[in-house]
Amino acid sequence: MSLLYEYRAFLLSGFILTLQMAVVVMLGTTLVAIGLVTSLRSKWRPVATVGYGVVEVLRDIPLMVNVLMVYFMLPLIGLGFGPFWSACISISIWGGANGAQIFRAGLESVSNGQRETATSFNFGSIKALLLIVLPQAMPVIIPPYVGLLTGVVQATSLGAVVGATELLRTGQILIEQTTIMRGGSPAYLVYGSILVVYFVLCSLISMIGNRIEDYYKRPFRGVAKDAQLESKIKDIEAHVQTSA
Amino acid sequence: MPAFDWGYIWEAVPDLLDGLVVTIYVSFLAILLSLTVGAIGCALRVADHKILSFPVAGYVEFIRGTPFLVQVFFIFYGLPSLGLTLSAFWSGVVALTVWASVFHIESFRAGLSAVGKEIQNASASLGLRSWQHTLFVVLPIATRSALPSSLNTIVATIKNSAYLQAIGLVELTFVAVDRIAYDFRSTEMFLAICLIYLAVVLLVSAAGHRLERRLNRPYVGR
Repeated sequence: MSLLYEYRAFLLSGFILTLQMAVVVMLGTTLVAIGLVTSLRSKWRPVATVGYGVVEVLRDIPLMVNVLMVYFMLPLIGLGFGPFWSACISISIWGGANGAQIFRAGLESVSNGQRETATSFNFGSIKALLLIVLPQAMPVIIPPYVGLLTGVVQATSLGAVVGATELLRTGQILIEQTTIMRGGSPAYLVYGSILVVYFVLCSLISMIGNRIEDYYKRPFRGVAKDAQLESKIKDIEAHVQTSA
Repeated sequence: MPAFDWGYIWEAVPDLLDGLVVTIYVSFLAILLSLTVGAIGCALRVADHKILSFPVAGYVEFIRGTPFLVQVFFIFYGLPSLGLTLSAFWSGVVALTVWASVFHIESFRAGLSAVGKEIQNASASLGLRSWQHTLFVVLPIATRSALPSSLNTIVATIKNSAYLQAIGLVELTFVAVDRIAYDFRSTEMFLAICLIYLAVVLLVSAAGHRLERRLNRPYVGR
């Protein structure tokens, strides 16, 4: 423990980078997911088909491969971003593909009658989406989506593989240094502590997510619809990978 | 950027296949073990005694809330100083098992909860004993409703085996990255492993969907 205290400034710098990456990938995931779900639900057939293909391929390729691929290949087309951004980009793309799937299933869970009614009340498509469809889709979207967000936050640890000095990488460096200088590996202590830090961070995100979930679930509380919601959420969760 | 070279991929095929064999082997063991651990864990999780269910609930929460990569590092680099040294291969099997079993526990539990109270009453009124009820009524229904999410976890286990390249297990991703370090042919190698992963994942999901359809046959059209 004294080892961790001794190098607290170094570890803290790593933790701060992890937090920065967490914020970037959560925003990135959401943006990519919105972009992809727009193309999935596009009226133009080719756009929808391409979107579908992109989402499927991204979801089927391991995240690790995705991260390495972006890191090695972007410089080839002249876009050298460095480890931080290439990790953030690849994780956001992966998260976005899974997020698009969640959004799509959520939007489809709202019956078409709602959309038709909105149209007959002269709501434009954007207005109908934001005021009628989305609020009803939210209770189904939020639980798996919060799961996905904790997933992408956990995935920022992959930054260590491509050399971003986030929490896990600082831990690795600390272990290497101490093993060389003092002998005896403190790996279990360092990695154990990092596990705890991530656990606390993810629990916090889940807690905030639960609050948001409760807010959107208000109209459904105590209604038979609750069981329906549950089964829809289970169904979505069974078809996306939200953990990394 | 050097011109794309199919010949290079062709040359690399034997190495890639060796890697694929390790990927499949490690995933296969982990899938079997995680399903077993998942079943035992689920049985404990739904037990009436808090002493049994509470540790499992904690285990599920903790593993879900932590990154798989750090779990892998903890098992491979951390456990030796606690007196348990595992090779990269077995560390990988253990890590994947620990990670996947958590999702199986949750999916089995959801499957069990899909069996309603009325069904228990129905079995009781038919004179089924408790073990008969569990074996012939609860399990078939629970399996069907747990299958989609467990299949998802099985596919994710194969995908997550790529993380094990970080501890030096010579599986598919490791082979590709290793070759890139020598020849800088990243386009060719990534295309090759992406295609292989796609093929494996699509094959396993297709087999899973077939199984799902087969099991659901008695319900079709009702």
